[in-house]
Amino acid sequence: MSSSPVVVIRRADNAVVQAELIDGVQPRDLGLIERVWTPVRAQILAKLRAASVAPVDWPQSLRWDWSRKEGELKLLEAGGFGVICDGDWQGVMLTKSASHVALLASQRSKPLVYVDYVETAPWNWPIAAIGEQGRYRGVGSVLIREAMNESIRQGFKGRIGLHALPQAERFYDSVCGLTEIGRDPNKQNLLYFECSPEAAEKFLDEGGES
Amino acid sequence: MNEKRTMTLNLTDVEMGVLEELARRKDLSKTAVIRQALRLYQTVDMRLGRGEKLIFEDEAEKKKSEVMVL
Repeated sequence: MSSSPVVVIRRADNAVVQAELIDGVQPRDLGLIERVWTPVRAQILAKLRAASVAPVDWPQSLRWDWSRKEGELKLLEAGGFGVICDGDWQGVMLTKSASHVALLASQRSKPLVYVDYVETAPWNWPIAAIGEQGRYRGVGSVLIREAMNESIRQGFKGRIGLHALPQAERFYDSVCGLTEIGRDPNKQNLLYFECSPEAAEKFLDEGGES
Repeated sequence: MNEKRTMTLNLTDVEMGVLEELARRKDLSKTAVIRQALRLYQTVDMRLGRGEKLIFEDEAEKKKSEVMVL
């Protein structure tokens, strides 16, 4: 496991806050993350129900369970990354580096880092309908930037791919500059995005922030 | 944990030719191709071990064939 300094933004006052990027998240970390995040998810769910918010408008990762993904980290091709700030995991991401290849025409069949799962801590979700403004922003950007950096370290030139939940499509398109490839009927019809080496270089140069 | 160890890999001319061609087409170093092959082999082996099947599908020809992996 290694760590490096990164920054995130505290939403309450737009202050830049020091955080730690972890490369080498362990299975036990996923269990810990889930134990801490589960009660917060439950509180959010209760507020959503109390406010009669339609389920279609609930955060789409509300029912994820990171402890069930511990097995994913046993594979050589698996990568685990996270952001720690204030002593808490603020976001986590699992990647795969061998079982997916690029579909983008200019990069077809070349290797990429596939972002299997990425999520920010539930207390970071801004949910206007229940008055939640979220604690930190920029965590998702830090993690996507790290996926591109991991791709470069692996010799993949920054190529990444991911299936986006509908609520995150705009983030990957507009903020991260990923290219929309199309809906994938084999993956719940989610929109699949990829990042070319040129787009990765641009996002990394700009220090992309959400 | 990520400390690297060195090994010598003896390949025939044909095998080396295939490795060099894969490295060229995949835009990777030869070392990275071998590393990718090992990762993929482990992933396939683990999933087969769980009882899953590895299948190649040709949509145009409407053909499916199961791949047997050693």
